[in-house]
Amino acid sequence: MHLAGHTKRDIILFSAPYLLVYLVFLAFPVVYGIYLSFFDWNILSGKAFVGLRNFVQAFSDEKFKSSFFHTLQFVGLSTPILIVTGFLMALISVRPTKLGKAAESIFFLPYMFSTTVVGTLWAWLLQKNFGLVNQLLQAIGLKGVGWLTDPNVAMLSIVWATLWWTAGFNMILFSAGMKQIPDEIYESARLDGAGKFVTLTRITIPLLKDTTLLVVILQIIASFKVFGQVYVMTGGGPYGTTRVLVQYVYETGFNYFKLGYASAMSMVLFVVILVISAVQLLASKDDVQ
Amino acid sequence: MKKNRLVLALGLILIALMTVGAQKPIEISFWSLFTGGDGEFFDAMVKAFNESQNEIVMKTDTVKFTNYYTKLTAALSAKNAPDVVVMHQDRLVNYVPNGVLMQLDEYVQKANIDLSTFSPAPLNSCKFNGKLYAIPLDVHPLVMYYNKDLMAKAGVTKVPETLAELISAAKAIQDKTGAIGIAADNTTATYKAYTLTRLFMSLLMEQNVTILDASNKRANFNNAAGVKAYQALSDMVNKDKLTPKQLDYDSSVSSFKLGKAGFHFNGVWMVGGFESQSGLNFGVVQFPALLGKNAGWTGSHTLAVPVQKTTDPDRIMAVMKFIDWMTQHGEMWAKAGHIPTRTTVYSKPEFKNLPHRAEYADAVKNTFAPPATHKWPELYDAISDSLEESIALNKDAKAALDQLEKKVNDILK
Repeated sequence: MHLAGHTKRDIILFSAPYLLVYLVFLAFPVVYGIYLSFFDWNILSGKAFVGLRNFVQAFSDEKFKSSFFHTLQFVGLSTPILIVTGFLMALISVRPTKLGKAAESIFFLPYMFSTTVVGTLWAWLLQKNFGLVNQLLQAIGLKGVGWLTDPNVAMLSIVWATLWWTAGFNMILFSAGMKQIPDEIYESARLDGAGKFVTLTRITIPLLKDTTLLVVILQIIASFKVFGQVYVMTGGGPYGTTRVLVQYVYETGFNYFKLGYASAMSMVLFVVILVISAVQLLASKDDVQ
Repeated sequence: MKKNRLVLALGLILIALMTVGAQKPIEISFWSLFTGGDGEFFDAMVKAFNESQNEIVMKTDTVKFTNYYTKLTAALSAKNAPDVVVMHQDRLVNYVPNGVLMQLDEYVQKANIDLSTFSPAPLNSCKFNGKLYAIPLDVHPLVMYYNKDLMAKAGVTKVPETLAELISAAKAIQDKTGAIGIAADNTTATYKAYTLTRLFMSLLMEQNVTILDASNKRANFNNAAGVKAYQALSDMVNKDKLTPKQLDYDSSVSSFKLGKAGFHFNGVWMVGGFESQSGLNFGVVQFPALLGKNAGWTGSHTLAVPVQKTTDPDRIMAVMKFIDWMTQHGEMWAKAGHIPTRTTVYSKPEFKNLPHRAEYADAVKNTFAPPATHKWPELYDAISDSLEESIALNKDAKAALDQLEKKVNDILK
């Protein structure tokens, strides 16, 4: 670029505020977290170096294993539904009609609420004895369900609340991708006599490949980090059957005063997410070639 | 004439402004965790304190309960905490040994706070190695609530005092009125089913057994007393079916509040909320002696003084005045249901005239605090989860207690 003299300085200047925030609130905590995972620390007094003990402990800790398993359960249940729903929502909302515009706003609206609001809202709606959902079921003669108190149902309720809350974000990504597909392609397909279904499977989905990859990676990462809605809706219950890893990390660090052990468990989660994302990226690169 | 008055008025205002400026009240920062029904009573007390004198101004900041200790711990770690904080008695053991709370004996003496007017049990539970680290504001024990109308309908004439009486009364109510016999949460939803641990500890203590051994190093309930205590809890749900399965805290409270439960086990903090419910005709007594003598779990709110980067004795003395005033005006706090800690409050007419309070004021004598181990928060969660699981799956006493003992000892080792 011919503005070279200016741009370098400008690049630094303009990105400085973000870089500062990034360094202080992201880079530093990550590095400090790695450091802490080798220590015994109760946050209020001195640290003691313990080597790999925290990691060894994690793999013999039943609560860590069950929490990790519940997180995997949530990832497995929520990821496909969230992606498919986001895609379907995008299909509806990209239509250049008034209905499409309205749908886009309606689908995205829940995403703007905070975790606490979403969690509290669904906790009340799904409350077993006094919640609206069960009141409606009982009004039409059905039996109420222990949405948050039945161990077979509680995790599904959390997935449902998450779907309601965050599918709109995937919709935005998908519809941005859809809008980039040139109209000419659709037009020529129409001229060739392709129906709606064929257009969808032969044009829209293949051309959204990059977007889909992005959505899948972001969604898996987000699902692994599930915490707030579980904490508010079920508190990890009934009897710990929905306790997820980040919740256990939080409780271990701030309620049980074991910051080092909590950091070590976060590192395990960090590595798992890193590996999964790397594998996905590599696999998709091979495809493209 | 008119002009003179105006000048006079202006002059007075000026003098008033000058004196206010000259006295410069000390501003004391304060964090509290009362967001529930008790919050409004607490704020009213702080306001009354601020209006009662003009040397000290309390600036309250209320933090949402679920985040309170996280925020407080971080602030204490940075020596950045407010001048005075509310802390549950069972949490003190997590902070005192780390030297983040001021030792108060010297300041109590300087401020002439008469410690002999405090109930001994709650005061002693704020001492570590004989030194005082917090002042108890209240105790809030587990109690039994009963619905008078449902009892009358079912022909129950006596408030149950034994396990057999409780079960037959609850059965009568359930059979004749269709209400829940005993509302006590046994399932975690928005809140963990801590009531199970509180009941279990109380039932053990009624048989003179503590939940941990004297050194707080091992579980102490896998024995005959433990079997009786667990069986009583499990039978209410599984055998006699007086408590529905999957009853969470909100349901338990709401069903009693709406007059749909005969008996309800919970802390005294619900008294204020139940009183405001029109049409609910209830009574409240200390936790009954179901398995032996009277004994009830209790929590206690205390006021503690964080260690600052630099100690300012003037500020600490101001805090002591505040603490003295707050504990002396326990009758205002009792409106929220909590039991005051200063015996001088009990004789005040304002306290005596409060309904219900006299019925359960006795409880103070028979309460006990959770074991003083820094592992208590983790144990409290683990015991509640494990009891919840065993009762939900209707495990027998041996399987339930074996599992519970293993979990507790694993944490303590």
